[in-house]
Amino acid sequence: MNMVVCGSLLSYHSLPRLLKPQRPALWCKKQFCVRGSVNKPDAEEPRRIMIRKENEGWKIDFSGEKPTTPLLDTVNYPAHLKNLSTQDLEQLAAELRADIVYSVAETGGHLSSSLGVVELTVALHHVFSTPEDKIIWDVGHQAYPHKILTGRRSRMHTMRKTSGLAGFPKRDESVHDAFGAGHSSTSISAGLGMAVARDLLGNNNNVVSVIGDGAMTAGQAYEAMNNAGFLDSNLIIVLNDNRQVSLPTATLDGPASPVGALSSALTKLQASTNFRKLREAAKSFTKQIGGQTYEVAARLDEYARGMISGSGSTFFEELGLYYIGPVDGHNIEDLVTIFQKVKAMPVQGPVLIHIVTEKGRGYSPAEAAVDKMHGVVKFDPATGKQHKPESPTLPYTRYFAESLIKEAEDDDKIVAIHAAMGGGTGLNYFEKKFPDRCFDVGIAEQHAVTFAAGLATEGLKPFCAIYSTFLQRGYDQVIHDVDLQKLPVRFAMDRAGLVGADGPTHCGAFDITYMACLPNMVIMAPSDEAELMHMVATAAAIDDRPSCFRFPRGNGIGAVLPPNNKGTPLEIGKGRILTEGNRLAILGYGSMVQQCLEAAHMLRTQDIYVTVADARFCKPLDTELIRQLASEHEILITVEEGSIGGFGSHVSHFLSLTGILDGPLKLRSMMLPDRYIEHGSPKDQIEEAGLSSRHISATVLSLLGKPKEALHFKP
Amino acid sequence: MRCAYGLAIPASDTRFFTPEPFLRLPRPGSGNPSRISIGSFRIKAKINEARKETSFYELLGIAESGTLLEIKQAYKQLARKYHPDVSPPDQVEENTERFIQVQEAYETLSDPRSRAIYDRDLSMGLHLAFSARRRSQYHERSEWKNRWQSQLSELKRRSMNKDAKGNLSWGAQVRRQREEASKKP
Repeated sequence: MNMVVCGSLLSYHSLPRLLKPQRPALWCKKQFCVRGSVNKPDAEEPRRIMIRKENEGWKIDFSGEKPTTPLLDTVNYPAHLKNLSTQDLEQLAAELRADIVYSVAETGGHLSSSLGVVELTVALHHVFSTPEDKIIWDVGHQAYPHKILTGRRSRMHTMRKTSGLAGFPKRDESVHDAFGAGHSSTSISAGLGMAVARDLLGNNNNVVSVIGDGAMTAGQAYEAMNNAGFLDSNLIIVLNDNRQVSLPTATLDGPASPVGALSSALTKLQASTNFRKLREAAKSFTKQIGGQTYEVAARLDEYARGMISGSGSTFFEELGLYYIGPVDGHNIEDLVTIFQKVKAMPVQGPVLIHIVTEKGRGYSPAEAAVDKMHGVVKFDPATGKQHKPESPTLPYTRYFAESLIKEAEDDDKIVAIHAAMGGGTGLNYFEKKFPDRCFDVGIAEQHAVTFAAGLATEGLKPFCAIYSTFLQRGYDQVIHDVDLQKLPVRFAMDRAGLVGADGPTHCGAFDITYMACLPNMVIMAPSDEAELMHMVATAAAIDDRPSCFRFPRGNGIGAVLPPNNKGTPLEIGKGRILTEGNRLAILGYGSMVQQCLEAAHMLRTQDIYVTVADARFCKPLDTELIRQLASEHEILITVEEGSIGGFGSHVSHFLSLTGILDGPLKLRSMMLPDRYIEHGSPKDQIEEAGLSSRHISATVLSLLGKPKEALHFKP
Repeated sequence: MRCAYGLAIPASDTRFFTPEPFLRLPRPGSGNPSRISIGSFRIKAKINEARKETSFYELLGIAESGTLLEIKQAYKQLARKYHPDVSPPDQVEENTERFIQVQEAYETLSDPRSRAIYDRDLSMGLHLAFSARRRSQYHERSEWKNRWQSQLSELKRRSMNKDAKGNLSWGAQVRRQREEASKKP
């Protein structure tokens, strides 16, 4: 029978001898608590030990069922970590790893980033006390161990599901989540704000911001560090360097070489350049031995002091942060020592602790994978093989990439730019074909947009592939550098509309609104993958002004693709009518057109025939089509998967300006509601937003005076 | 103690990397002067060796700007050529050694990180075998520990004086004000 004594090492095979607790926690002496696991007395097999300590570290056996986690079971809140010894913390880290792997294997989500920070999380919660102390996780996809240790372990199976845990820290979810995250590089800014507030209010807590090397490529991190150095408020910044620098979506062939100058700087920090200086000094020392040793020794001392106070840490020191590191990010003892020492100092000012970790550490399929299993769907823990659902069609992203490649084959002026999202935007495929014409600028959307503008001034045709939500970061550049100067930059906005499990932080709700209000921009949205290919061609052809098109997350609907994936440019400002009907017209924009067609299909069973049109363009609007629909129907409904101020607003503005609204026409606009839609499955989100085909049919029926018929349609 | 470049620092001892003991290094006439001179001799020999050897790129027969694909192809070709199982019996020894070198070259150059470090060394005129670096990585970690321990002590020293009157930063001013406020009865 296996027995576990609180606060000591896991059991051995050779029982029934009682375990010797190695280093019992102090409080354990008073109450000797033994948790025995129930085994049938005549059990044939001895219980397998899944998590064992070996010489170099803890080994977890992933080949079977989820292992028992006796120590982790005792931890529900960070307070429970305080009394554990270093040995226990290491065991806890191993159990936490196992828990994360098995949990993410069930739900999908972000795996390897969490695995890389297990030791860091354990050390932070051991030394600091949330919620009084604040721990801010940048981006937040590595916060799974944090969530487990702060009372949400029992809900981990609901991760990223409707009404379940969010995939990122969320202030509404727990007091231990100090700041919501999702976009990167905000942690230092937020942390500085909390630190300054603490100073003004006269409080005494600690503030820790954890940021990765990838997130460091964004300008906001520098803005924050610069300000932190200037204000000199006590703040601890942990730079979690897993040497990916640029999201590890990798190229198709292997890991991408680090992006930019930042990575070489970080490499230098890790590769002991200072020791080179020291060695040269040592060489000259040996030459002069026998001579003026005092002076030589003093010179060496100077070198050494310069080296030790972290002057080899380049820009961090220049910005006013005290640099400590590099530190082995998987050594709990080291981490705890450093955090305790820094916490205990009377006044620290801003301190940057540079830890080096390995992404996916402790789970060999992740360590070996090209993309390190950064974002995964359900997988098998024993092998790491993901259960990717079979689908007859490819994602929209892929269709975009293929058609862009086709355009680029014919026109060598076409170049593509993305911001550290080669895999997410599909531009990895483009890069494979045209490695010189694909630019990954790191997590720097602002730079990406102006960079594209610069390319456009010289006659190139830049395609900026940035997610709808991330383009928000570069909005001023879109207005000031691209639109104002009327430069022909093409924006391909992926993940437009609701995005499912990632939630509101990644939702592309606002792009129609923020793009359509710009005077020179051409705005289009395809209703299916074939239209997408045509719009890529259209955008490539628009050479006198900026243009953009948006497409959603998800797979195509199975439309017939143009031959050879080569689209043909559409006539600008012309939509199309898909089905004809009477009395009522539905004008859809973008992928919502599919929902409109479904609604029309449902309504036929009620003997109602509606016209469905695909607007294709939000700017310039197909005014002829709208006039025609307005004159031939009593009621016009516009549908879009965007916030207020988008397509519907432009249509109603047009109708009012032209005086059509003075007439008998009834106008209704369906759009995303004026609130954030929580994460969940795409189906649930559409239902929540009120934009499913059922909702559209219900709207039609109520406008036609038959509200009760809507109950015929089952959700 | 060996540091990253495989050079031995005379009076090889871990105390060397903390500030004070500089002044405690063995003076001439005390300690083991012979050990020191042998050490420097070894340094020179190692450097000469490192300078003469062919670089990994030359070994694989590709340009220094070679892509990952080219490296893979060159490696596969050479591996097939020099594998001990397929070499004629009289050349087995030499070929095995070559094979191991090719293997090392591939390992270093196929990983962008280690390739970056290797390229940097190369530009400084030093070619060092991967195995030497691997051995040094372990020592690198213990060097890291020494380094951050010293950084911590320096920070502690600085933090004693951080809020002295001279420091005009916003943080220092607010902290001083708070101190004074808390001292009032």
